[in-house]
Order: sequence, then C-alpha cells, then structure tokens
Amino acid sequence: MTEIVHTAPDPHHAPASRPPGGLARLRYPGYLRAAWTTPLFWAIGFGIVVFFRWLGHYDPAVDWTVITVVASLTLAPLGFLTGIGAFDYWAYYISGRPTRVDDHASHGATSWKDYFRVNTDHKVIGVQYLVTTFFFFVIGGLMAMFVRAELAKPDMQFVDTQTYNGLVSEHAALMIFLFIIPAFAGLANFAVPLMLGAPDMAFPRLNALSFWLLPVAGVMFLCAFLAPGGAFATGWTSYAPLASDQPLGQVFFNMGVQWAGASSIMTALNFLVTIITMRAPGMTFWRMPLLVWANFTTSLLVVIATPFIAGSQFFVMFDRVMHTNFFRAEEGGYTLAYQHIFWFYSHPAVYIMMLPGFGIVSEVIAVFSRKPIFGYRLMALSLMGILVLGFSVWAHHMFVAGMAPWLRVPMMVTSMIIAVPTGIKIFSWLATMWEGRIHLRTPMLFALGFLSMFVLGGLSGIFLASIPIDIAASDTYFIVAHIHYVLFGGSVFTIFAGVYYWFPKMTGRMYSEKLGKTHFWLTFIGFNGTFFPMHWIGLQGMPRRVADYSEQFGDWNMVISIFSFLLGASTIVFFYNMIISWHRGAIAPSNPWRAMTLEWQVTSPPPIFNFDEIPRVVAGPYEYGVPGARHAVLTGGSGADAGVPEEERVH
Amino acid sequence: MRRGSIVRITIYGVIAGTIASLAAVLIPWLPTSASEEMDRIEFTFWFTTVICIGIFAIVMAAIAYSVLKFRAADDDERDGPPVHGHTGLEIIWTAIPTVLVTAISVVSAVVLAKNDDAGKNPLRIAVTAQQFAWKFEYPDKTTSGSLVLPVGRAVKLTLHSLDVIHSFWVPEFGQKSDAVPGIETTLVITPTRIGSYSLVCTELCGLGHATMRAQVQVVEATDYQAFLKRAASGDGAPAAADDGAAVYTAAGCGGCHAFEPAGTDAAVGPSLDEIDSGGKPLDAYILESIVDPNAVLAPGYQGDVMPNTYDKSLTEGQIDALVQYLSDGQGGN
Repeated sequence: MTEIVHTAPDPHHAPASRPPGGLARLRYPGYLRAAWTTPLFWAIGFGIVVFFRWLGHYDPAVDWTVITVVASLTLAPLGFLTGIGAFDYWAYYISGRPTRVDDHASHGATSWKDYFRVNTDHKVIGVQYLVTTFFFFVIGGLMAMFVRAELAKPDMQFVDTQTYNGLVSEHAALMIFLFIIPAFAGLANFAVPLMLGAPDMAFPRLNALSFWLLPVAGVMFLCAFLAPGGAFATGWTSYAPLASDQPLGQVFFNMGVQWAGASSIMTALNFLVTIITMRAPGMTFWRMPLLVWANFTTSLLVVIATPFIAGSQFFVMFDRVMHTNFFRAEEGGYTLAYQHIFWFYSHPAVYIMMLPGFGIVSEVIAVFSRKPIFGYRLMALSLMGILVLGFSVWAHHMFVAGMAPWLRVPMMVTSMIIAVPTGIKIFSWLATMWEGRIHLRTPMLFALGFLSMFVLGGLSGIFLASIPIDIAASDTYFIVAHIHYVLFGGSVFTIFAGVYYWFPKMTGRMYSEKLGKTHFWLTFIGFNGTFFPMHWIGLQGMPRRVADYSEQFGDWNMVISIFSFLLGASTIVFFYNMIISWHRGAIAPSNPWRAMTLEWQVTSPPPIFNFDEIPRVVAGPYEYGVPGARHAVLTGGSGADAGVPEEERVH
Repeated sequence: MRRGSIVRITIYGVIAGTIASLAAVLIPWLPTSASEEMDRIEFTFWFTTVICIGIFAIVMAAIAYSVLKFRAADDDERDGPPVHGHTGLEIIWTAIPTVLVTAISVVSAVVLAKNDDAGKNPLRIAVTAQQFAWKFEYPDKTTSGSLVLPVGRAVKLTLHSLDVIHSFWVPEFGQKSDAVPGIETTLVITPTRIGSYSLVCTELCGLGHATMRAQVQVVEATDYQAFLKRAASGDGAPAAADDGAAVYTAAGCGGCHAFEPAGTDAAVGPSLDEIDSGGKPLDAYILESIVDPNAVLAPGYQGDVMPNTYDKSLTEGQIDALVQYLSDGQGGN
C-alpha cells in the first residue's frame, strides 16, 4: 500500500515565498503583477504588428483589426496569465533558475482569497470552475431574458437587429463554452480524483492553467460588445462567409473559442492521464464509477474533436485578417468546408455536453434508489459506443446545406443508430430504480427531471435524424426546442443534480432541501412552458434567429416569454440556496447519502491530499444491498482526519 | 413481477400514451400541406410520432410507477435488492429500438428519394438570393421578386447566392434548401393547393434576415401563363425599366428600408421616406447611394451592410426608374 509522504522542501527549490512588501511585490505573482504584464504584452503585440506592417509598406501601418487579433486577443491574455503566475514554475524550470518551493503553498485553500489565486488543488480548482461557470450562466441567462423580452411581441421593441443577433450569439457561446462544458469539467475536477482514490490530478499545474484560460475566454466573449459594430452576431455556429464580413466583434468569438478550446483540451488530457495512471490499487476499469467512465469518454471526445473547431475559427478569421480564401467562393474557396469542419467538432460537442451528465445521473440514481446500477458494463460500453458513433453523424446538421446528396442517408442511419446506446442508458436507469428504495432528494429530482426531459429531447432528435422531417424542421424553432430539451433539460438538469449531490462534500455543509425542491419545480415548469410550444411554432413556420416574426406566432411567443421569465426567476432560488447554505447550512457528515464511492469515505470537505492513505479497492462502486459489500478498504482512520494536522485540513 | 403491478404500470402507460396522443392530435403541429412533398413529410412525421409516443409512454409509466410504488421513507435505511443486470432484458432493449429506428430510416429514405425526384419534365426556375431579397427567373428569362407557381406541376428550383448563405423555405411546401455561394443547390416542389404563401429565409444572413421574405403564389396553369406574359411586358423584367415601383419590389429594397409609397416598413436600413441628401442634388445622391452605398452613410447606420452590386444586378434603365420612383416619393421635396 502506498503511503503519501509529505516531503520536506527540496534544497533545489527557492525558499517559500510569502508576498513581499514594497516594489518587490510588483514581481510577485498576482493581480498586481498582471496589472503591468498585461499592458506590456499588449504593447509588444502592438509593436510587432506596426513594425512589420511598416517594414512591408502596408498602408495603414496601424491596422486595428490586426492589432486586435495579435495584441488584444492573443498577447494581452498571455500577459495576464504570466502576471498571475500560471507559467511561473515552468518558466523558472526552463530557464534553469531555482523553482519556487513546492511546499504546496499553492495547494488547498485557507480563505476565500485563495480561490482567486492560481491554485493547484483539484478540489479548489473544481470550485473555481463551478463559481466561474455559474457566473457566466447568469450573464448568458440574462441575455436570454433580453431575447425573450424582444420576442414577446412581433416587430421590434427594445433592441435593434444587430444587438439582437449579438445577444442570441453571445447567449449560445457563453452557455456552451463558458457554462455547460466547463461546469462538467469543474464537477469532474472535484470528483474524479477522489473517486479514483488519487491525491490530485496527474498534472496539477496544467490543471490550474486550464482553469485560468476560462475567464480569459469569457471576458473575451463579453468584450465583443465593446467592439465597434457590436458583438459577434452570426450565431454560435458563426457560418462562413457571413462571419468573414461581419464587424470586428466577430474575431472576439473566433479567438475566444481558441482559449476555451485550449482549456478543454488541457483538462481532457489531464483527466485521461489521471484516469489511466492514478487509479488506486484494485481500481480496475470495470470497478470505476460511471462518472469516471463518462469523463474518460468525454475526454477522448474533447481531445479528438476540439482541434477541428479551433481550425474552423482560425480559417474564418484568416479569411478576414489575412485575406485567405478558405471559404470565399468568389475567390475559389469552398463555403461548405466550414460547416463540415465546424460540425465535425460541434456534433461530438453535443456528447461532450451530455456524457458527463450521464455519469452524474448514474451516480445519483444508484445512490438514491439504493440499488446497483443495472447492467454496469453495458452502461460503460454504451458510452464508448456513443463516442465512436458520435464521430460519424456530423453531417446530419447539414441535410439542407447543399452537401453531397449521397452522404445524407448514411449520416441518417448512424444518427438513428446512436439512439440505441442512448436508449440502453435510459432503460438501464429505469431498471435501476425498479424495486429500489427511492429517496426523492433534490439531486434525485433533478435526475428524474433529466430522464423525462431528455427522453423528449431524444425523441425530437429521432424526428430530426429523419431527413424528410429535418428538411422541414431545420433552422426553425423546432431546432431551438430540441437543443434546449437536450442541453437544458439534459445537461443543465444534470449539472444541478451534480451540484446538489456534491455540495456537502465541497463545502462541508448541507444545502436546504426545501429550497432545492422549490428550485426544481419552478425550473421544471418554467422549462417546459418555455420550450415545449417552440416545437410547433417552429414547424408551422417560425425560423430561428429572428428578432421579428410573423403576427400569427405572437400569442405563443408571449406565453413562451412569460414562462421563460419564470425559468429565469427559478435560478434566484438556486443561488440563494447555495449562498445561504454555504454560509450557514447544517454541518455535513462525511457521507450524507450513504454512498459507496470513494469521495464519500473521507471528511466533508476532504483533507488536503484527499486520502491519508491510499484506499484499496475491493469491489464495484454500486454494491448496494449486497450484504457486507464494500467498494474499498480504508484501514485506520478512514473517513476521519486522523493523522492530518489540523492546519492542513481544508475548511 | 406480480400481476397487480403489471396492471398498474399498464394503466400508467396508457395514461401517458393518451396524454401524448392528445398533444399530438389537438396541437396543430404542422402547417396545412400545400405540396406533394409536404404530404410525404407529414406521413413520415406521423409514422415517427406513433413510435415515439410508444417509447415516451413506456418511459413515463416506468418513472411514475417507480416513484409512486418504490418511494422510501426518509428514515428508511434499507437497500433495494442487489440486482446487477439481466442479459435478456438488455438484449431486448438493444434490439427493439434498433428495429424501430431502422424502420424510421427506411421510410425516411424512401420519402427522401421521392421528394428529390422531379419527374421527367419539371418546370425549372432559378432562384437567386442576396442580402436581403429573393429573385426568381422563369424558363423564358422573365424575372420577378415574388414566386408564382402553377398548381399540380413539379417545379425544380435551382438556388444560387450572390453573397452569404441563405435558405429557401415555404412552411406549407415542407421542402427547404440553403442557397450557398459558389455552388448550385436544387429543390423539388409540386404545389397542390392554390393560394398565397410566404417564403422565409431560414439561415441567419445578416441584419435583414428576419425580414427577408417573399410572396409565393400557387395559381392555375392558365393564370401562370398570364402572369408570365404580364411579367414579360411589365413586372420587373428589363422591359419594365420605367416602372420604379416594380424594381423596388423585385430588387428587395423593402426587405431593409421603409418607404411609404411601396408600403414597406423595415428598419434595417434608413427610411427612404425623407431622404436627406446633405445638400447634393437629390437624384444624384440617390443614384450614388444605390450603386455605391458606402460612399455616404446615413447617421446612425454602419457601412458594408447594403450590397454594393446593384450597378451589376440591375440594368441602367431599372436604376433610373428606381431613382425616379424614390425621388418622386419624397414628401414635400
């Protein structure tokens, strides 16, 4: 059995440093240093652009489009990351200087301020991820409220068309790239190493960097509103050639996606290495909790697919900035190539936004039904099935796009077949509940809400996989309904389930069950009232992404808007619950749900290195009802802080 | 499983299925079909709906039954039976959905093949999309800004775009296709119902996307011939250069601009009701704004929105007529 040894400071390291006083503070990693490195890097970018344009006799030498891309959207963020110290260790190491002592000063959190610094503790990073992503969830949600206010009546009322298109695009971009994908990464960051019996992720510093790329991407998206001509306004799909001719705000999307994508890829690599190499003794692949399986497959999807969206956004931007002709038909470019490259990422991205949720729901349903997951191996294999099939269905987004006609039927068949592994999961969850002892706590309510909503989203997906129906429904509000049933009824419900489920473990306090249930019912009603009518107004003739629409859809849009405000208001209950409970909720026991997976076998919140001794895994993670069964053996002080000095515990 | 529970879950299933069926029947899901293609799409839609209602009913019944029947008291700390799986069941719920989606795929593929088939002698109409207007060119080369189709004859539309991607959709016809710059796409429609419909652009194409609409009329074959004759001699064709109002409609000016004489009230671009020429001669200013829209921008509006291709897409006579029409429409000037 491996013991975790708390090593004494290595003599090759520089002495531990606390923030120095005076001018030296300007060189110490933190916001103060970022305050001068960010403009410095920006100025370097500005200088590079102007110098080379002057050298090449380009007129004008000061071209603000190019400067925006190079200085503001590339170098300034690097300057910020350098300033807060995301690269310090590597920079010291590469340059041969003594690295800062690895005394874990940047590990764990002793006060709320530690959450605003570069931190290498996966539990802190998990919370950083969640708080950041919920911040962008609020911003993106407010944009949706503006959109619904405008759409409540036909004709234009509150905003002009450019602003409306900007709001729609920003809403989608924030919800996808700054909320759903990273919120799952945050939950997994917290839970996966604990579930594996590991002290941390495989690469803690890379983990910290992945997190800090995220606010950079989010701020970049939001700053697009400040660009002349307004925010990017071509939808989150940002189709060429429209996206090549838009006002400057468009490049904020092109570049923001790069930062968010880099964050995704780094996290995914980290998960893969962690899951493959850092499982506790006895934790075979067939003994891993399904959340770990889900993140394993998700990470594979991210690593394989994300470079494609990066490429598609670079190409669109190059068409604008460097006058390349990837997608400009009049110059010999191929317009449809954009959509093929974009959807080769963005369809798998749907599963990137879905599979971690499947993992969460598997945990929650097994625990709150007090039964083993039904058909565990098939559950894991169906994840792998979705992974493989997920790469063969992208062109079903392009049935009306004018692509090669022969490609349509094969893509329809694979899109239909992918319903089979998804169906297996749904039926297995139902069978898990069957004859169980169901406790309808808030996470379970959200899991059940997910099940019913996701079935609807999946069934409307069958309609859309059928080419003739898709031809009629494509680019209408039917699509808006479908995507929200899948990504809100599906993903967001599972995120809520996960947040409530692990809240006691993260904060050491219990949330209010009453407020949690209120939140669920308000969300459930608001959600269905908002998105269900969209199905038929879409089929009847209302296109998506329009600020103005035909009079005949006025009544239903008013109904939808009213329900959407209810949906928006429901999140107030959620945030109130989270803040109040974090502040003064009841102290959480180490295992309030009587769950078997490893994160519940340590204190709430867990000790700084998770396990005082590495647990030995002896059986599967869902052995509920099996007499005397244990998932893992932790001898001596399991579930307690035995042996860890008080000051090293995280509170 | 006891018989009582089978009866109960069946009842739940029937209730869920009935609610779903009522939702399917009572809500007007689809527009009233006006083409043979839409009839087939409707068939596919209802075929899929029946299967989906079945699946929905099973899942909802299982959830409802489990929650009502297996709910435990808060202080009940017992676990459920340690059932880990059942190979037979797992095979069933892999196999049955596979069969069902295969059936939907086969129906869809057959319908698709029929909907793509324009027959031997379709009427061919070229559709040109640009920000933010539609133009239709009939076999005899006459053009118009609204689409007129004879009832009962297969039409093969060939779609082109002059700038960005647009999408052609008439909800009652069902069929939809993008118009993509650089390639030609096609669409087959066989109208079955005389009437007036609305063509909407369904691919976000810029500021005027929401108002990029055109009128579509399905008429008797004789009326169609009469329309062509009228168009050739007056409505939007090159010979009709003297009719500025027709050019205004055909070129899609109303997609973005408000102009009272033409009855348009879009607000994407500046209103044309009171043009401020800023001291220049009015006609010259209007002409410049049509052929080179970025030369002078109306306050509050940005450049690079209006196409700068009208000096190519319209004839000189048409542009002159349009200038005259707009200049005549100025109140008080």
